[in-house]
Amino acid sequence: MDANSIISSLTGKFPEDIYDADIESDIRIIAKVKPENVVEVCRYLKEDLSFGHLCCEFGADYPDRNEIEVIYVIGSYEHPVVLAMKAILPRDAPEVESVVPVYWNANWYERETYELFGVKYLNHPNLKPLVLPQEMLGEWPLRKDYKGFPNKTAKNLV
Amino acid sequence: MDETVGPSEMIVHLGPQHPMMPGPFRLNAKLRGETVVDSEVEMGWIHKGIEKILESKTYLQGITIVDRICYLAAMTNEEAYVGCVEKLAGIEVPERAQYIRVIMEELSRLQSHLLGMGEYASFVGFVSMFMYTIRDREDVMSLIDSVTGARVTHSFLRYGGVKDDLPEGFKDDVKYVFGNLRKAIDNYEELYRTDAIYKARTKGIGVLTADVAKDLGVSGPPLRATGVAFDIRKDEPYLVYKDLDFKVCTQTDGDVYARIQVRLDEMRESMYIIEQCLDQIPSGPIFPEDTPYGKRSPVMRVPAGEVFHRVEDPRGEMGFYMVSDGSDKPYRVKIRGPVYPTLQTLPPLIKGVTVADIVAIAGSMDTCTSEVDR
Repeated sequence: MDANSIISSLTGKFPEDIYDADIESDIRIIAKVKPENVVEVCRYLKEDLSFGHLCCEFGADYPDRNEIEVIYVIGSYEHPVVLAMKAILPRDAPEVESVVPVYWNANWYERETYELFGVKYLNHPNLKPLVLPQEMLGEWPLRKDYKGFPNKTAKNLV
Repeated sequence: MDETVGPSEMIVHLGPQHPMMPGPFRLNAKLRGETVVDSEVEMGWIHKGIEKILESKTYLQGITIVDRICYLAAMTNEEAYVGCVEKLAGIEVPERAQYIRVIMEELSRLQSHLLGMGEYASFVGFVSMFMYTIRDREDVMSLIDSVTGARVTHSFLRYGGVKDDLPEGFKDDVKYVFGNLRKAIDNYEELYRTDAIYKARTKGIGVLTADVAKDLGVSGPPLRATGVAFDIRKDEPYLVYKDLDFKVCTQTDGDVYARIQVRLDEMRESMYIIEQCLDQIPSGPIFPEDTPYGKRSPVMRVPAGEVFHRVEDPRGEMGFYMVSDGSDKPYRVKIRGPVYPTLQTLPPLIKGVTVADIVAIAGSMDTCTSEVDR
């Protein structure tokens, strides 16, 4: 399976949900997806296009456009094509459906994105901080306007 | 994990800084008798913030930072990072530099597997084995040291090439070290194959089947031990791997014994690859001429774009997703470490085993907590 046939299969199946699809090279595709239908698209990718390997899932913050992108990088054990799929969310209320039912290992990636960017994953089985302490919830440290976390530490030191 | 504890149940905390795991990491295991009923991994003890730091460093400064993601695989981390920049900027690497990179990365894999295997042996009670592998690893480290000038964090790769050429007499040194190492690896294998206690602690323990492993997103030796021949060096060749002859080492059992066996076989393959490279390596520049970026330009602007580049780390698939906005610093870097999904599989994998086997299973994954906790 090559990049072209994957793109045509995806856009044929989801003409409304997949847009701005672009082929970077024979083995790299980038596409945008409507956030409401991420789970269906992922299920189709996994079951019909043998994209069974979620490489990673993470966020990227764009304060100028007032958007947060959640990027799913999905590969396969059968073919070398890797798809980077972006769901674009509003920055003030980022919410997207969790893909844990499809890709089991999205669990930790989503917890991490939640605590670092504040993206809320709906129907996630266990959405609580993974790498940061509980009291940093709400600080969203990987957002671009994050000024650091000095105050609480200083207070504790005194 | 449900924190409520029933009668005849208790929660045991393994770590942080438990001898079973190098690096701070905690596993809360709920036990009934000696059997694990449920468990939970707690992360975040050494959060280094590398992804955030990279956003404030120039591309060249980033190389020294990515070294520190996992110091056992510093060279492959650099390769993934530098490969991203090269793809974004469209830099071609001269052939000699590619060969040098392959040699260094395979040496890096050798030392990582030696340490991982020795450490594992000490987890199941073979403490002297650890001493032997450390001794052999020192020879490999000296080889790396003779080229890069550093033992652990090398900062050796540059965009488009490498920092230095191979020193005089490197081929003879490699020949001498590999002669000893081959014998040593045969000895290790013989020991593992004949020792009854070792077999009792490893055969049929922590079994992952191919379907489950794929579903859990595992990569690297734990995946290849289940029979899936997934190796990025073969499936998506980078550098000169497509010109080299090597095979992907697989086992079928998927248990702890198979994972260690895969590492032993991979060490032999790595040595074979390095010897081929040393025979085939062409003369020529180690840095592209006429790049607009200059040889060691500290300030380099990379064209805007996004790229995902992945390489085969000693532990599995190491990938970097880099977003560039055209300035001299990356806009966003996501590190996809190989151990992250592997460690995530620990709770389902240790469900129903006895406490003593937790150490054997966790150790055989060769997890590097520092890399998960970036």
